[in-house]
Amino acid sequence: MKKKRRMNPVLKKELVVNSRSIKMSLAIMGVNAFLALIALVAILEAGAGSSNYEYSALVSLFPIIGCLECGMLSLIVPVITSGSISGEREKQTLDIMLTTPMSPFSIAAGKLWSAMVIVMMYMLTSIPILSIAFVLGGMSWWALLGLLGMLLYLGIYVGSIGIFCSSVVKRSISATVLTIIIGVAILMLTSILFAVGMGVLSYLTVVVNNQQATGNPQVFHPGLVPAIMMFNPYSPFFDFMLRSMTNYSVCEMVKDAGNISPLLEIFYNLWIPISIGLNLFIALGFLKLAGKNITVSRKIKRK
Amino acid sequence: MLEIKGLTKKYGKFLALDNLNLHVDRGEIFGFVGPNGAGKTTTMRIICGLLRATGGTVLVDGVNAIANPQEIKRKVGYVPDFFGVYDNLKVMEYMEFYGDMYGMDKEDVDEVAEGLLELVNLADKKETFVDTLSRGMKQRLCVARALIHNPDLLILDEPNSGLDPRARFEMKEVLKNLGSMGKTIMISSHILPELAEMCTSIGIMERGRLMLSGRVEDIMHQTRISRPIHMRAYAPDFADAREGRDYIVTLLMEQPEISRVNFTEDEILLSFTGEEEDAARLLKYLISKNVLVSNFYREKENLESLFLEITGRAKA
Repeated sequence: MKKKRRMNPVLKKELVVNSRSIKMSLAIMGVNAFLALIALVAILEAGAGSSNYEYSALVSLFPIIGCLECGMLSLIVPVITSGSISGEREKQTLDIMLTTPMSPFSIAAGKLWSAMVIVMMYMLTSIPILSIAFVLGGMSWWALLGLLGMLLYLGIYVGSIGIFCSSVVKRSISATVLTIIIGVAILMLTSILFAVGMGVLSYLTVVVNNQQATGNPQVFHPGLVPAIMMFNPYSPFFDFMLRSMTNYSVCEMVKDAGNISPLLEIFYNLWIPISIGLNLFIALGFLKLAGKNITVSRKIKRK
Repeated sequence: MLEIKGLTKKYGKFLALDNLNLHVDRGEIFGFVGPNGAGKTTTMRIICGLLRATGGTVLVDGVNAIANPQEIKRKVGYVPDFFGVYDNLKVMEYMEFYGDMYGMDKEDVDEVAEGLLELVNLADKKETFVDTLSRGMKQRLCVARALIHNPDLLILDEPNSGLDPRARFEMKEVLKNLGSMGKTIMISSHILPELAEMCTSIGIMERGRLMLSGRVEDIMHQTRISRPIHMRAYAPDFADAREGRDYIVTLLMEQPEISRVNFTEDEILLSFTGEEEDAARLLKYLISKNVLVSNFYREKENLESLFLEITGRAKA
């Protein structure tokens, strides 16, 4: 007999609880009001009311709102997820959950999916504002769907870190701060490693050229160093925006920087799927660690 | 039903459980007694799979709780000493949530939950938000929640703490009902007289060790416990009341069964460890020494005095 697929009980419960919370509706309204204000400014800037209205200028709404949504999501998701485990601890409901046969990983996953439902609500409610860019500005449906996909991926990534932090620290507020610190640290670390790697490679190229002095200078080969940035969770978003708004891409940027082999060109052309795959794998690792942290018994309260 | 052998738990250098051995038969209501920090909660959390033991084995209905923590979760229902409930969740939804976590179908959960809510007297609160329930109701709801998967063993850690007398009474009735239904229950409490009323067997813990365990009546019978004697006595040969009192104390302290004599405002309290015949002999002796005794009675055997005796001995 075919096994009936069940919805994660934690997700189901969170959906019921969140749907009754006024806070969530107010937050979504606030975010959309802010985006709508930006859109209004862009419409007015495009020359509303004048005879030469520049519809193409509205295309600029797409990256602006896209980046704003990305930025807001990076702040909202830690807030949503950081209380997921620590909140259960604070409310003293985690122990009861752990006495059930549900695995700690499933509990963490349920928490992540419930956060993603909220992220999707943010995204879906902002579609009418984003649509201005493709209805009036000529952006494609694919670009719009791609942006939503990117935001969902980023939500999963940041959300996993948030849940991990929530499983590590006791208080939700500390978990929020820790999530943001880890996120910023990953951004900085990948950027610094990339910059140092590229710097070392260019220095070596200069040194070789100076030593040879043959009049046939060595061309700069970035090799796999730019791939460090694949571990930067925002790099697929950056590549996506470049591709959507221009004919340029990260691969072109690498090619402009120096010579790469045809195989590497294919590799860098696949920047978005490879980077997303890598980062989702890392996110899964954070979620697994969160599950492990939930099972690790904390020192019991001495009465 | 429950077999614990050589259970040890260390928190760093602190030995919370020291080679604990315990046996609870099916259908028993086992009372876990001990002062704060004795290791009751630690033992219960290990049985539920919430804590890892440092050593030893715990078998629940033949299943090793330490080796199969996931399997044991289907066999045990746990009501912790401190717990919270979710805001914005109704009583029935709360039950459905936990039923869902045990992999039960909604129809089954609804049917079982209805019965359990009836059992804990919350049938009329199905549509009430759990955070609006009183402390006693929440406690009873938690018992119903712990029974949703029909566990073989129900563990309750201090279920009466923080409850008012009415709520305590209601909780006691619920537990008595469960006992009469043949459920195996392990319950820890500080309210010893209530445990004595409910439990069929008890275990007394002190500093991570089980000092004593067995059926309540057997323990009471086997242990030569100190049951105080309350008396009122006067020495008419002494004009000075103080001198008369000293005379009585001297006579009392000569008796090997008396370890302590306390004077309260209007009576004398004797720590007495003798048999009933020894008490009668003491009374006769006092009268023979011209001490007038106007009141003489011995306290009944109870769990509280047993507990104090055992834990007092352990400290000594």
